[in-house]
This record gives sequence, C-alpha cells and structure tokens, in this order.
Amino acid sequence: MRPFILSRDTFHILVALADSDRHGYSIMQEIAQRTGGEVRLSPSTLYSAIKRLLEQGFIEELAERPDPAHDDERRRYYRLTKAGRRAAVQEAAHLEKLLSDARATGLVRKRV
Amino acid sequence: MAPVLPPESGIVWLYHQFLFLYPAEFRNEYRRELCLAFKDEWQEKHSRIGRLFVWLRAIFGILYHAPKEHWHMIVHDFRYAFRILRKDWSFTLAAIAILALGIGATTLVFSLANGLLLRPLPYPESSRIVSVQEDSPVEPNEDGHINFLNYLDIRPRVTLLEDIGLYGGGGGLIRGEGPAEQVQSTLVTDGVFSVLRVAPLLGRTFTPAENMPNGPKVVILGEGLWRRRYGSDPKILGKVLDIDDSRWTVIGVMPANFYFPDRSQLWLPLQADPRTSFRTDYFLRAIGRLKPGVSINQASAELESLLEQIHRENPAANNGWIALVAPIREHMVGTYRKGLITLLVAVGLLLLIACANVSNLLLVKASARGREIAVRTALGATRRRIVRQLLSESAILGVAGALLGILLAKLGVPALLALVPTALPQWMNFSLDQRVLGFATGIALLAICVFGMVPAWGVSKTDLTSVLKEAGRGGSSSMRQRLLRNGLVIGEVALSVILLAAAGLMIRSFAALRLQNLGFNPENILTLSVDYPQSRYPDGPASRAMVDRLRQEVSAIPGVASAAFSSGVPLDDGWGRIFTIEGRPVALKEMRAINHIVVTPGYFQTLGIPILQGRDFTAPDFDAPHVVLVGESFAKRYWPGETALGKRIRFGPPANDEPWNTVVGVVADYKHGTLRGPDRSNVYLPYQKDVTPSSLLIRTARDPMQLAQTVKSRISGFDRDIAVGPALTLDQIIDRVSWQDRFLTVLIASFAFIALALAAVGLYAIISYTVALGTHEIGIRVALGASASNVRTLILRQGLALSGTGLLIGIGAAFVLARLLRAQLYETSPLDPATYVTVPIVLILVTVLAVFLPTRRATRVDPVIALRHD
Repeated sequence: MRPFILSRDTFHILVALADSDRHGYSIMQEIAQRTGGEVRLSPSTLYSAIKRLLEQGFIEELAERPDPAHDDERRRYYRLTKAGRRAAVQEAAHLEKLLSDARATGLVRKRV
Repeated sequence: MAPVLPPESGIVWLYHQFLFLYPAEFRNEYRRELCLAFKDEWQEKHSRIGRLFVWLRAIFGILYHAPKEHWHMIVHDFRYAFRILRKDWSFTLAAIAILALGIGATTLVFSLANGLLLRPLPYPESSRIVSVQEDSPVEPNEDGHINFLNYLDIRPRVTLLEDIGLYGGGGGLIRGEGPAEQVQSTLVTDGVFSVLRVAPLLGRTFTPAENMPNGPKVVILGEGLWRRRYGSDPKILGKVLDIDDSRWTVIGVMPANFYFPDRSQLWLPLQADPRTSFRTDYFLRAIGRLKPGVSINQASAELESLLEQIHRENPAANNGWIALVAPIREHMVGTYRKGLITLLVAVGLLLLIACANVSNLLLVKASARGREIAVRTALGATRRRIVRQLLSESAILGVAGALLGILLAKLGVPALLALVPTALPQWMNFSLDQRVLGFATGIALLAICVFGMVPAWGVSKTDLTSVLKEAGRGGSSSMRQRLLRNGLVIGEVALSVILLAAAGLMIRSFAALRLQNLGFNPENILTLSVDYPQSRYPDGPASRAMVDRLRQEVSAIPGVASAAFSSGVPLDDGWGRIFTIEGRPVALKEMRAINHIVVTPGYFQTLGIPILQGRDFTAPDFDAPHVVLVGESFAKRYWPGETALGKRIRFGPPANDEPWNTVVGVVADYKHGTLRGPDRSNVYLPYQKDVTPSSLLIRTARDPMQLAQTVKSRISGFDRDIAVGPALTLDQIIDRVSWQDRFLTVLIASFAFIALALAAVGLYAIISYTVALGTHEIGIRVALGASASNVRTLILRQGLALSGTGLLIGIGAAFVLARLLRAQLYETSPLDPATYVTVPIVLILVTVLAVFLPTRRATRVDPVIALRHD
C-alpha cells in the first residue's frame, strides 16, 4: 500500500528542495525549469502546499539565511526534513515500481 | 491587440487586495511571501501576453485556494473543539442535555401552535372562509350561533360573501349490516360544500332542493366510515341506510381528510321548516366564503346592516343581537389561543434560561481555560481565531442539543396529547412538519448565537500578562468575566422566578377550579347518553313510559342507589332559554337566559341537591302541566325578600305567548352549565313531552365504572334498538371540561421545575468555581483562624446575594407579566399573595441546597495544601 499520498505539486516541491534550501519563488522557478515550463505553480498553490508540508513536518522554515550573497532578508527559506525526504523517496520508489509494472506489461517502452 | 495592464506597483497592490479572500491567519502569515513571489514572476515576464498569463494564474490560484484554506481552518477548529469537548465529557453532556431540554420544549410548544394557528386548514384558500354568527350584546356567549330564519333572509341578500352554508349537530345512529353504531354526524346545507370547496370522492353533494322541509332523504358518507363500515363498497351510491330510524339514500362519499366541522363522518341535509322555526332560537352555525379582496370588516359591516334590516322587518323578534364575521380559524381555535400564547411565552423563558445556563457553564469553563487561551494568543492566535474556536465548540453543542431536542419534541407530542381526555378535532395536526423543523433550526441557531457569543466576548479580551502571572492557580477571573457570570446567574434566577410565579398562579387557579364547591357531590355518579328509535317511542306517553321503565330497570340493578334522566349532563350543558316573570314584562332585547333543565323523578336525589323550599316534583307533576323548580340564586334575584313559591314564569320571547309555569320549589344552586366562569341560573321542568331527556345519571354505591357494563346490558336487554353512548363518571366529565386548565398547569409547572433545576445548576456551577478560585484565600482565612462556619457563611452569603438579586428582579417582572395570565386564571388574582410568598421560600431553599455542596468542599480546605498552591 502507499504509505504517503503526495499530490503532484507537493512531490515537485519536495524534489525542488532535495538538493538545496530555497525560498518560495526559487521553488517555483526550479519546478518550472525542471519540467521545461510544463508545471508552473501559482504563488497561491505554492504557499497552500507549503503550509500543509510545514504542518506535516515534511519541510521546515530556516532560522538563518543559507546564502548570504544572494540573501534577501524579506524572504523565508525552506528545507526538507528527514521525514520529508523519506516521504519523497518512498513516493519516488512507488512511482518507479508503478513505471516498471507498466513496462512489464508492455504498456510503456523499456528504457534503451 | 494586447490588453493594457496596470503598472507594476499597482498590479501588486491589486493582487494584495485579492489576498483578503484568505482567512486572516493565512493572510498574515504568507501575505508578504505571496506578493513577493507574484512580483518576481511578473517582473520575469516582459511580454504583455506573458504577464496576462501570470496575472490570470495568480488570481485563479487565489480563487481556488482561498475557500480551501477557509475550509481547512473550519475543519481544524471543529476537530480541536471535538477534542476539547471530549476531554470534558461530563460538561459536554450536561450542556447538550440542557440545550436539548430548552430547544425540545420550545419545539414541542411550537408544534402545538403550528397545528392550531399556522398549518392551513384542509380547504382551498381557507383564509377566505369565515364564520358568520350572531351574538347577544347583553350576554355575549361566543357560541357562534346564527338563527335559521335570519340565515334564510341573509343568504340571498348578502353581496360580499360568495355563499353561506349552515350546519348543526345531528344524530347519526346507524343500524343494519352490523351492530348499531353512533357516528358523528352533521346536518348541513348545500352552501357548506360550496363554501369549503371540497369535491366529493364519489357522487355529489347536496342540492338546494334537498335542503327543503321534507326533502329527499339523502346522505353523504365520510371516506373513513365508507371504508370501515362498508368495505369501500364501490356501489355504495344509491344504497339505502338506516340512520336515526329512517331510510337515507347515499349520494356521495367525501375524501379522506374531510371531517367538517371537526370529526364528522356523516352529513345529512339540514331540512328545517321555516314555518315551525322561531327567530329567537339559536342552535345552528354558519360559514361563508369572502369574495376575493373583501375584508373581514367589510363583510361584518354588511352582515350587521342586513341583520338590522331584518330586525326592522320583524320587530317582535328584534332581540338586539348583532351579526359578525370572523376568520373560521379564530372560531375553531376559540379558547385554545390564549392558553397557547401563554405557553409560548413560558417556553421562551425556559429557552432563555437554558441558553443563559449553557452560556454560564461555557464562561466558567473558558475562564478556567484562561491560561490555555493566553498561551495560544502568545503563540500568535488572533482574537478572532480564539472567538471562532469558542464558537465552534458552541456550534457543536448547539447542533447536538438541537438534534436531541427535536427528538424530544417528536416523542413529546404524543405524550402531551395523552394528557387530553377528549377527542380533538381532526384538523388539528401536531406532527413535526417542515415549519416546525425550520423553527427548531432557527431556535438552535439563535441559541448558539446567544450562548456562544457571550463567553466568546467575555474571554477574548483576556489580559495576557495577568493570566500568565497567575501561574498554577488554574484559572483567572477578570472583573468583566465575573460581572458577566454573575449577571447570567442573576438573569437565570430572575427568569425562573417568573416561571415559578406563573406555575404557582396556575396551580392555585387549577386548585380553585377543581376544589370549588360544585353544589353537588360528583363522586360515584355514572352518566350515559341514551338514544332510542323515535318510530317506536313517539313523543308523548310512549316515550314517557319508556323513560320511566328504563329508569326503574336501571334503579333495580344492585349497587345503584338512584337513577334519573335529564336533558343535559351537569357542567357540560349549553342549553338555555330566555324567560319572563309574570307581571314584569321585559323587552326581548333585555331578556336573559336560564339553564333550562328537563328532569325525571329522582334527579335531585341522584345528584344530592337539597330542596330548600317547597317540594320536589311528584308523580302528578309529570302529567299535570306547568310547574317548575328554580335555583336559590334565581329565587333571591327575582323575588328578594319574598318567597318564590307560587310565582309564575314563562319561556321564550313574549311574542310566542307560551304558557305560564308556577314555581313549586326552590333547590340549592349548583354548577350546571359550565365549570368555569359565570353560570346561568337553573330552572327545572318535569319531563312531559317535546324534550326527551337523554342523559342518564346514576348514583352508585361503589365504583361507578364497574357498573357501566351491567347498566348497558340491562338497557339493551330492555330494547336492543336503544343505543347507549360511552359511560363517563361525573369526575371524568369534570376532567374533560377542565382539561385545558390541567394541560396548561402541568406544562407550566414542568417548565418552572426545569427552570428552577437549571437555575440551581447555574448557582452550583458558579459557586463551585468561585470556591475553586478562592481556595488560596480560604486557606489564608483558615490559617488565620477562621472557623468552618465562618467560611460556610461567607460562601452562602455569596450565593444568597446572587439569587436574592435575581429574586427581586424576577418578582418585579412577574408582578408585571402575571397580568397576561389573567384570562387563564380561575378565581385567582394575578397578584395572589400565597404564590408570591411561596416562590421566594422555594427559591431560597433551592439556593441553600445548590450552595451547600461547594460549601462543604470549601470548609475542608487544608490551609497548608491551599497555600502550597502557589
């Protein structure tokens, strides 16, 4: 069974935070870039998701600024927590399993 | 062409305005972030199309997510509220129970009001149906009767009514095809059906020709009777039935919910003969239908001028009565309305008390939660959030209370109707319909607002630092909260004092009604109505002989002390006649009525009414004409200072020239016409002819109901065709005629009892809380040498101060409000001293009881433990 049910947007946010701590707009940019502009979150979508992820303990708000050079003191930075990372990894594993099942049935072409 | 977009700072400002769609908490937390992210996106795009997409996505995002955030918040608040309520489940259950009582009782009374006053009568456009009546300005009787000849003159002349229909009570004894059965029947004219506009299920209704004297004998059945007695026979039309000893052809069947006027199942054509009718006889009623756009007042004015015209045309019959038109419901609801309004007021007070009570419990609880709230405030919860949190708790309590209350009301309606000893008219339907449910919902919402707002308001201004400083004492109590709490308890006490006073007055009044001296001994008297076939016992010697034989048969039954027939059962006899005293002619307009009681030998003996002067009727009186007995008050009123014996009176209007009757005896007064209110004087006539006394009164040596069956079988053994109505003791008849008083008294007393209990709970809660808060102080006092009784007195004084203040306010209000009860009170003043002495005593006793428990706890305070509290 699926241990977590992460929405598409939520998963994207967790992935965006996987390699570095980011502020809100940076998360939006990262997702847009990674998906080649296919997924664009609106600020509302982003912060509704962030609120939920904070409540669930999957991300945390940073007390100190990670990158003094590019620091913008008005912005809040977020970091993936251990629980959040675990959730994202499980979700990824689940997606992988789903994909390999699809391949096994011939629904999706095998990777060359 | 690309759309023109506002400059950058303007667009961010505009975006910011949309953020007000979010809950305040979310907005305060993320407003800056959202605006920054939006601005970044906006700046990144340079094309107008690109910026338009950014704008649209941002706005749709808000429109999509803002309601979701609201929903999340509500869910969160309710979850939290549930957790809080579950933690303190004894409080929760108490609050729900109190609200359920308040809402349930209110809904219950409203469903009565709904059934009587609001639910439309089962006739099309029933608001245009009116009763057309005449009444005496000298002795208003509100019977709603109209004279037959006047009706005949009015019907063709009236212009503001579509039609008028006349109706009156009928026999309804059906024989053949099964056992003889007494069915409620009504004599009606064709106009009744056209006024009511109800089409028959089968066949047709009456024609004017069928209302002529000696017209065709046709009958209309009710659906219930048709189904029950005739198995819904589709060929019922044309069938000949034996009703009241003659043969009637069925011409129609009325639909299932048609019971006009109240429980009728059989309609016979009214075939009165104008040539043998008098203009001064009143035993029929009339209904009419207003033409569209005609008001009651207009119709009344027309009727009044028509009646005046009729009086001018028939000066000998000018009794000075007036004609009036009233909405049919007013006529049908009659005496119920005032009692109902009293009940609505009483139950409204009860609901207020319930709300104040729950309010107070919530407030006490919220004060005890001061620290929790202060901590939440310190952690950033807005005042609004706290208020909403408290309101969610109130809402849960309110909804649970309302559901339980509606259930209580649903169960309560049949329980209440069980208190009614008579059959209510069929149109009275007290089931919980949409209107009642809507009302209950409204009441619940109102209650939630009332009891939820007060504590929210009281707590939300909690001063953070002072609360946190009181660490460890588990509670705080600002001046404002204390005032609110005390105010609520005082209000509760005052309201319950009003209800207690009302209950006291009702109980006194009911006692006055039931314990009054009736002038006869109602114990061990059985009454039965007897109906016999007129063809076998024609008026005169034949029916006299039958009545005599029957009386002897019944008197011979072991256990029967004496038996007699009369024309009406005591306390429930509306038959009156106007009279003239010889040598003192009175204009018809000024004539008064007496209770015209036709009796057989043994009547006074059976009821135990002493003969004060002269003699009882003797056997020859029943043959030799024209002697009467009169009641004591009648004799004193008309022949003061001299004897009534030998004086003569006659009945009816002077123009009738009826024979004179000589007074041969004076008997003690007793209540004959009505239990309540002023009664007419009694005049007794020996049974000779014309009026066959059909009420059988039997005094028994033991429980009268045990003899009922024997009496019935003895009568049917005498003649199987004599129908006997249900047996009732006189005590049961008294129950029946006083049921409204009992009903009101029971309900108001129950409300008052609940109110008192709630006020006691309120006092108990607040005193307990004060004691808990004051543990520290009490500890110091005890350490300084205060004795247990000092502490007890201190606390008791607090309780008495609260309830004393409430008592004073309540008594004052009761003095003013009690006037509203006047119409319900029987020989009891609204300012009845006994009531106003008893109520404070009861209240003080209850206060002492409510304060006693917390006091015991206070006196057990160990100073060492109490002081360690800090």
